[in-house]
Amino acid sequence: MSTGVAVQLEQVRRVFNDRLVVIAGMDLRIDAGEFLAVLGPSGCGKSTLLRMLARLDEPDSGQIHMETPSEKRFQTAFVFQDANLLPWRNVLDNAALPLELMGEAKAVRMERARAALEQVGLDDALDRYPAQLSGGMRMRVSLARALVTEPRLLLLDEPFAALDEITRFHLDVQLRELWQRRGMTVIFVTHSVSEAAFLANRAVVLGRSGGAIKLDRRLELPAVRNNELRGDPRLGQEMRLLLGAIEE
Amino acid sequence: MYRRTFLKTVPAFALLAACGKSAKTKLALNWKPEPEFGGFYAAPYSKHGLDVEILPGGTGTPTVQMVGAGSVDFGIVSADEVILARSHGNDVVALFAVFQDSPTGIMAHASRNLTSIGDVLKDGTIALESGLPFARLLERKYGFSHVKVVPSPGGDITSFLHDEKFAQQCFLTSEPIAARKQGASVKVFAVSEIGYDPYTTVLAISGDSLRKNPDRAKAMVAAVRDGWRAYLDDPKAANQQMNQLNPTMDLETFAEVADAQKPFIETDATRRNGLGTMSRERWETLIAQFKDLGDISQTIPADECFRML
Amino acid sequence: MRKTLLPPLIPLVVFTLLAEFLVREGFVRGYLVPAPSAVLRAMVSGRVELLHALLSTSAGSLAGFALSAVTGIAIAILLSSSRGVQRAFYPYAIFFQTVPLIAVAPLLVIWFGFGIETVIASAFVASVFPVIANTLSGILSTDLPLRDLFKLYGASPLVTLFKLRLPAALPQVFTGLRVSAGLAVVGAIVGEFIAGGGLGSVVEVARTQQRIDKVFAAVLLASLLGLGLFGLINLFSHLMLRRWHASEQAH
Repeated sequence: MSTGVAVQLEQVRRVFNDRLVVIAGMDLRIDAGEFLAVLGPSGCGKSTLLRMLARLDEPDSGQIHMETPSEKRFQTAFVFQDANLLPWRNVLDNAALPLELMGEAKAVRMERARAALEQVGLDDALDRYPAQLSGGMRMRVSLARALVTEPRLLLLDEPFAALDEITRFHLDVQLRELWQRRGMTVIFVTHSVSEAAFLANRAVVLGRSGGAIKLDRRLELPAVRNNELRGDPRLGQEMRLLLGAIEE
Repeated sequence: MYRRTFLKTVPAFALLAACGKSAKTKLALNWKPEPEFGGFYAAPYSKHGLDVEILPGGTGTPTVQMVGAGSVDFGIVSADEVILARSHGNDVVALFAVFQDSPTGIMAHASRNLTSIGDVLKDGTIALESGLPFARLLERKYGFSHVKVVPSPGGDITSFLHDEKFAQQCFLTSEPIAARKQGASVKVFAVSEIGYDPYTTVLAISGDSLRKNPDRAKAMVAAVRDGWRAYLDDPKAANQQMNQLNPTMDLETFAEVADAQKPFIETDATRRNGLGTMSRERWETLIAQFKDLGDISQTIPADECFRML
Repeated sequence: MRKTLLPPLIPLVVFTLLAEFLVREGFVRGYLVPAPSAVLRAMVSGRVELLHALLSTSAGSLAGFALSAVTGIAIAILLSSSRGVQRAFYPYAIFFQTVPLIAVAPLLVIWFGFGIETVIASAFVASVFPVIANTLSGILSTDLPLRDLFKLYGASPLVTLFKLRLPAALPQVFTGLRVSAGLAVVGAIVGEFIAGGGLGSVVEVARTQQRIDKVFAAVLLASLLGLGLFGLINLFSHLMLRRWHASEQAH
């Protein structure tokens, strides 16, 4: 049962400063409830693509269609590279922010924020301030904040890049679990081939200029992903394929 | 012992420092170039072997301290400043008094029909330099309980023109003329009315300098005396020169003020003893007034305050 | 306590003793620079007058500073609303910074009269610009990702201003306020030179009386006033920022 949105990009084109063609006529379909990893070298347009999907940026030409299973309006959530918390608010207020901006009543939003934080294992840190948290904990707050509106589309832009490996592994597993439980469409931009392979069921590799799709592959890996998969040769195989496409 | 060595080396360094510059004699004025300094601009310094540089001043130029500290050779001060300075250990000596009588006064609007200085203090606002002795004498004599005292605007008459009940301290030879030009009808009261009459626009020198170089002091006084004679006879050239330096006053006003100030400069005393003359009695009176006011703790000898060269 | 109070006290004590020695032994003339003991005596003998003057200048500078703070922040918010508004009006804000106060003060007297209103106006003119400049800078330099976050959830520009940009700008606002405080005191005193009252008047009168010890006493009090205001702002800054800003975190 998927509660995610399906996304259709048709000939989407984005140019910066009238000269730099960041995305040149991209066609891409993302199915509802899919976990898609987007890979590519720096400057290939991955972040721009994500921002357009979040409606923070508009394509210069082409269309982006979003299809939802039922209601017309849906929520998109975005997790940034930096946890991006408001430093003057505590953990609970930070997590509740999206609902606050959407005009939700205080009691409701506090409860939902508490629930989201519980899901990421931070229900004992509600009173703390970002300055008092570790990088990993801050990222988890950011995740909870993203989930608090029950988004149909979750966009992540290299969210775990600044964290240490152990924390990354931990959060990878947590993210995958959350996705499996809720069924929203997830688009995950990353530099890390191992992370892409571990998390996604489909990966797309963009080329250096204009965001041309060099590889679009369904990953042949089990549905349940945990740390045991880390040593599995199948993971290595997928990684090699992805790496090969990037290095071309 | 160390003090003497220190005091010896400091002037040596100063001399070394000054060697790079010309050996000009510096005269510091305590206001902008205006007719009250006319004689200094008209003086034939080179004829007396001097190369004088005149430094115009402005609000609050500390001429009495500059002379005492030696940063200028001569300065323009008033007699009351000399007395105060000396009582604080600042050895300055008066050499030439341009204004025999104090041109300080109070300017008020004629429409108030005031008849004496005391009347001015019965109502309205008065702008004074309240630290000055004459202000305190006024307070003593008449009291300030019915008048609002505000700081002196230093030559600016804008507040005066705006407010009929506004009176201000002035130089009898300048602000009233400027006010009349702006269409105001003024009545002036000389501060000497209350018996306070210090010599004003006085050429002063440091005691040290006078002792070390009496010839230069003599030459300066002679040049200045000649200058004032020349200015009293014909102020046009010096007025031109001063107007260039101080364009805020037009030439016509320069001429008017130069004329108005004559009776303060040339008096019976100067006709007898020469321009710039000073007497011990006048100094003694002033010193007594200061002692009485409590501005100085002990009487100082009048003879130390001035020197006729 | 010992770490914060002792280090600044040492140079102060050394300097005071040195100054006292130099004046007493005649190396420096007492009518140019008063001996510290003379300044102290002037403070004690004139304590009633000086206290009155201090209170008056404090009132003037505090009021002028408060006005600067409120107006400055408001102007900065207005300027932040659009590039066009900024370009049109920011140069005029700079005017407050560059105008020579001593030339403007007589004009202020014409408009506000010879009372504390002119002192407040003078303090305001002297101190408003740093508040505008720093607040504006703070508002405009909000992180792009944070602004994206608010945009994502459909927050209006007004909501973004009050829930994001102003709180984020708070550290810079305090920087502006710190600079502004000292300037407000200076501005008040310049105003007092022209309009009368307060420490400015004490300085002016003492100057004409050649009472340099009294001048120094008044100047010292003015500095302490500035220091006090500065300390007050630091206190507020600490209270408001301590939980989240690096500047208030322990080392």
